[in-house]
Amino acid sequence: MIALVIGGSGSGKSAYAEQMAVKAAGNGSLYYVATMQVYDEEGKKKVERHQKMRAGKGFLTIEQPRRLKEAAKKVATERVPAGKAAAGVGKTVLLECMSNLVANEMFSEENLSAVMDKEKIRQLSGEIINGVTALHDSCDILIIVTNQIFEDGIRYDASTMDYIRLLGDVNRQIAERAEQVVEVVAGIPIFIKKDGI
Amino acid sequence: MELFLGGCYQGKKEYVLKLHPECKGQVIEGENLPADWDGMIKELQEFENPVINHLHLWIRKCLEQQTDVELLADKLLETYPGLIFICDEIGNGIVPMDALERDYREQTGRLQIRIAEKAERVERIVCGISQRLK
Repeated sequence: MIALVIGGSGSGKSAYAEQMAVKAAGNGSLYYVATMQVYDEEGKKKVERHQKMRAGKGFLTIEQPRRLKEAAKKVATERVPAGKAAAGVGKTVLLECMSNLVANEMFSEENLSAVMDKEKIRQLSGEIINGVTALHDSCDILIIVTNQIFEDGIRYDASTMDYIRLLGDVNRQIAERAEQVVEVVAGIPIFIKKDGI
Repeated sequence: MELFLGGCYQGKKEYVLKLHPECKGQVIEGENLPADWDGMIKELQEFENPVINHLHLWIRKCLEQQTDVELLADKLLETYPGLIFICDEIGNGIVPMDALERDYREQTGRLQIRIAEKAERVERIVCGISQRLK
């Protein structure tokens, strides 16, 4: 099962997605795939705030700013410390968040000088979606947090517009595969898609 | 407590005043609400059924004046549990480069969450039409 959780700055999307993951995991193992790269004090604080929120909930954290396929391998092989998860029970993965992962892929050293034409964007989104598929194959429930960055009406420079387009494309492809798509507004979930569960 | 959210120019205030005719003439604009506790009390005391409109602009003012908006807002929610808030959605864009702009969006979102937790009614207004969230 895939669930996509979308929200804007300070919308409460992380807290909601975490709650969803903990509930979904039950007695199973719980993985947190962290995509944020820390560059400064503010980033450090953000990571610390999120770590505090997750503390004591039994998450095994996997730092994976790029290349989701590697996270999939880790989820498939690494076990949550004994006592925290019952053997043989399913795996739940919370990926936070797609907007950072897409930025890390797009502005990586090897892609930085690439021409971001339609074809390149399609290639990048294809690679990212392949990573999502691999991650989904490695677990039972995959919850992905993404960012609502599409509604400020500003025309940014070409590279930022390319980024917005790429994230939009990735979000749409995940939403298509997802059983649930939830928008979080003021901490309140609004279901945009809810299949069979 | 009630919270009404939405983008700018969606008819939020009109909607609220239609829902609460008793609040006509009781609207305090966020940009006019002081960013200190004594000033806030003084302003709020003038009204029987105060509605705080453009809450995001009050948050921005607090940040610009470097007052602790979380502390001040929590005190406000505790002291005036019957308040009606109208707030723009400002967090649905690219995360800005400027630290104050970033903080402004983050703090607005977080205060919306705290109000929504306490509120018995939360609605989002799009094109003048409301969607009840709580």
